[in-house]
Amino acid sequence: MSTVTWHGVRTIARLELRQRVRSTRWIVSLVVFGLVVAGVTALTWFAMRETTGGYLGEPAVGQTMFGFIVFFVLFLGMLVSPTLTATSINGDRNAGTLATLQVTLLSAAEIALGKLLAAWLASLAFLGVAVPSILWALGMGGTPGIALVTTLVLLAVMLAVVCAIGLGFSALTARTAGSAVLTYVSVASLTVLSLIVFGLSVPLVSGTETVRVEQEEWTEEFDPDTGEYTYDPGECVESEQEMYVAHTERTWWLLAINPFVIVADAMPTIEARDPYFGGDPMTAIKGAVRSTRLGPPDVYHYCSTQELTYEGWAEDPDDMGPVWPWGLGANLLLGSGGVMLAVRRLRIPQATLPKGTRVA
Amino acid sequence: MSITAQGVRRYFGRVRAVDGIDLEARAGAVTALVGPNGSGKTTLLLVLAGLLRPDGGTVRVAGHDPAIGTSAREVTGWMPDTFGTWESLTAREVLTTVGAAYRLPAERATARAAELLDLVHLTQLADAPAHVLSRGQKQRLGLARALVNDPQVLLLDEPASGLDPRSRVDLRHLLRDLAAQGRTILVSSHVLAELDEMADDAVFISAGRTVSTQTVDAAASAVRPWRLRALDLTALTTWLEGSGLSWRAETEGFAVPTGVLVNLEGEAEAAALLRDVVSAGVPVTSLAPASGALESAYLALEEERR
Repeated sequence: MSTVTWHGVRTIARLELRQRVRSTRWIVSLVVFGLVVAGVTALTWFAMRETTGGYLGEPAVGQTMFGFIVFFVLFLGMLVSPTLTATSINGDRNAGTLATLQVTLLSAAEIALGKLLAAWLASLAFLGVAVPSILWALGMGGTPGIALVTTLVLLAVMLAVVCAIGLGFSALTARTAGSAVLTYVSVASLTVLSLIVFGLSVPLVSGTETVRVEQEEWTEEFDPDTGEYTYDPGECVESEQEMYVAHTERTWWLLAINPFVIVADAMPTIEARDPYFGGDPMTAIKGAVRSTRLGPPDVYHYCSTQELTYEGWAEDPDDMGPVWPWGLGANLLLGSGGVMLAVRRLRIPQATLPKGTRVA
Repeated sequence: MSITAQGVRRYFGRVRAVDGIDLEARAGAVTALVGPNGSGKTTLLLVLAGLLRPDGGTVRVAGHDPAIGTSAREVTGWMPDTFGTWESLTAREVLTTVGAAYRLPAERATARAAELLDLVHLTQLADAPAHVLSRGQKQRLGLARALVNDPQVLLLDEPASGLDPRSRVDLRHLLRDLAAQGRTILVSSHVLAELDEMADDAVFISAGRTVSTQTVDAAASAVRPWRLRALDLTALTTWLEGSGLSWRAETEGFAVPTGVLVNLEGEAEAAALLRDVVSAGVPVTSLAPASGALESAYLALEEERR
């Protein structure tokens, strides 16, 4: 019964956008957003050039700038997006404009999707004014061009998820203040709270265990004639040792659902440019999260003859699979949950009313 | 193409907003839904518009159940008692948007919007943003919005509130015209005087129940007070003493009493009284119903319930 036509979705989206665009504050906030991002980009560029730029060169500056600006845009986008949808259904209900739409031939799904589309397009406009700054960072080098595409796509998807969560809450609560708070709490849970919980839960999943370690017995010999020491690694042998290990493979998902982690992990980087540097924020996060997911290895390889991978202790670098598909999947589930809730609450005739609301 | 409701019930928690309403609104007629505040008028209209699911009873709007599918919505126009307008849209855009929501093709929606703006005399303000419209103008825009899909059934909740006298007359003419085209019109209001002139039937509800159903003609010929005034009040009362009619002096709300209230049954009895009192030489200045037909019926019902 819930039919969805493009005509219906577009009708609602146009209605929403027309109302939004005609308020002058909208243009002002877009301009302010663009200027803030550009300002921060300029500051980052200056700061990076003064510090790391000296010895690591322009690509490193570009790499760090790119990561930093993308994060900043994501941060601002996640602040702005809830305002676009978190009051869209209960606000209309309070303003008395919702019921007159519900009695038309539009389906609940069309109203919900139209509102989501409009909010998403608006958040894409914010992303749009940030693109010049991202391009500047890209132009500094160090980041593969494809990273621009994947990063922008992921940013857009993450903003859509936040919009959808806000939409769901706006259908759930009667008061606009309530849904706005709930939406911000959700965004904070995904980004900050999950990180704190992960950190605090580390002791819970850690303990002293007997682990297998491959190690060498180093011997040193002193030659009195030359006065030099020679070192011999000896044979690489496996032994059992007591070690304090953290089983983060049980809690890695707390990091994976973080939108910042998703964007960082999915970003293609130039491989092995400087395995020991790994210094830009994106690569650092990627490495940290992927090794977190692996948890402690079966065997610790501490022998000098063994190949040192960037990831440190991965036996097989392919084990360091991406975590972003998991995080993205979880976020998309949350977003579709929000949309489904909105559709359910918009269906008429209504059997129950949310507390404190009138139909019209 | 009529509206029928039988034993409709709708509770909100423990509040029995609608608790057994029977109603029949004929096609080609204007039916008034009359009742005090909180008697369930708005809730009933929400059920008829398909926005609320009734807890019991059956509802048919033009033969369709408004709780199932969109076939009832397709032929229904609903104007709520309080509603908002998309403030930054123009009156014309409001109507074309609603047209699109009824899945009218764009040209059809544009033409329909122009037609309706003309009908409710808003053409001059068609391209002004809705927030500059006055309350009465918004009310007219709301009426136009309810007509976008050319509905066979019109549900109007307090359509006249906020309208100036001219617009009220226009509304009356419009509703009579729409009824003459064979549409079913259900109007709720508590301004009973204006319903007298536009309604054919009246359904009285109180505390969520139908308490009476009558035609306006019947209500008009029921016994109700008429106000009789004369230059010489003493001469009038003396004459009345001997006439055997039921009357009382009208004292409330007057500094100097100038008339009396006489209970009369219909206009024939009024004509007879007038002839008698004038031929008896009492200087009568006026004789008119002291209240509207529906108002009297409504007050009589209230009286019974006490």
